[in-house]
Amino acid sequence: MVQPVHVGMADLVVSKHPAQLVTLGLGSCIGLVIYDQLSKSAGMVHIMLPDSREAKDIPKPGKFADTAVPLLLSELTKLGVNKAQLRAKMAGGAQMFSMPGKDSAIFAVGARNIEATLKMLTAAGVRLVASDTGGSKGRSVEFSTETMIFTVKTLGSGTKEL
Amino acid sequence: MDQDSKFTSIHMDAIREVGNIGTGNAATALSKLLGRMVDMDVPVAELVPIYDVAAHYGPPDTPVCAVLIRTEEKFSCSLIFMIEEHRADLLANLIIPMDLSGMDEETQLEIRNSALSEQGNIILGAFLNALSMITGWVLPTTTPAVARDMLGSIMDLVASMFGVLGDSAMLVKTSLHIKDLDEDLGGTVIMIPDPGSLETLLSKLGVL
Repeated sequence: MVQPVHVGMADLVVSKHPAQLVTLGLGSCIGLVIYDQLSKSAGMVHIMLPDSREAKDIPKPGKFADTAVPLLLSELTKLGVNKAQLRAKMAGGAQMFSMPGKDSAIFAVGARNIEATLKMLTAAGVRLVASDTGGSKGRSVEFSTETMIFTVKTLGSGTKEL
Repeated sequence: MDQDSKFTSIHMDAIREVGNIGTGNAATALSKLLGRMVDMDVPVAELVPIYDVAAHYGPPDTPVCAVLIRTEEKFSCSLIFMIEEHRADLLANLIIPMDLSGMDEETQLEIRNSALSEQGNIILGAFLNALSMITGWVLPTTTPAVARDMLGSIMDLVASMFGVLGDSAMLVKTSLHIKDLDEDLGGTVIMIPDPGSLETLLSKLGVL
């Protein structure tokens, strides 16, 4: 058993096999894992917001979808992954509170996170093979380089293996 | 306000005082609603890196219930009342005049959520009323929204809302405790100002 590595908010962790990457309590945020199917190297990032362009400075590139995805790819490249073998799995982007009317945009950050992350993956040419996104419930995720299974837990409705 | 250094102890004191008066008012309102004594802790105002917000409130997998309201005119902010889920249900039961045990799970949940959204609305509305009294601003609120989820997921959203402003969150943490019950039904009020709102408030309070 490898010791699980916790990926906190806006954190980005890459690891060679064997590794167990965990993010607890995703709400509107995204847990994205990109892994090399052959070497089993993998990285996980906890994305909080879609777009870094309005930020004055970016102490943690993992915070924004548009800076997190390129950084994750470059960190994986340093581990010597084969880019053609890279696959992605993601979860999160829930809308925890719903309010009728004009306020909803503030809480739709989850949907914007999903959209921005998908766009960055497409631009980078990384294939998304599984995802569990949206809805109104928070999630905890876990990725094992051994099985390459992405486990998504939701309070009250159990566990999914992607 | 995205630079930690922009906040001085005077600002923190002013925000803490807002929390103090707000929570005092909320405690009184809850006490009237329940017909029981309600105590409050001395509010804490602190700047926390948004990345540590979740850990600040407890284990991320704790099931909690959160009620959220917003106000959007002179001063726009979100307010959250958060309480551990099993305590939330005990709190809800205090104002539900009937026995729910014969009903199906879904109906029970709906009734409890409705009670909680009303309690949250009264607590947070009273908090805002205090702010209204201090500033003279009229602060109309939205209808409350309720979520039941992991503490980590609620805080994940809170951190993102602060994340738009910068990398630190101004947390006003205050707790209410209902007396004369077997269990302490403590809950927490969290105030999340929209971008620019904290400056508006501090300047109205005469400290910015």
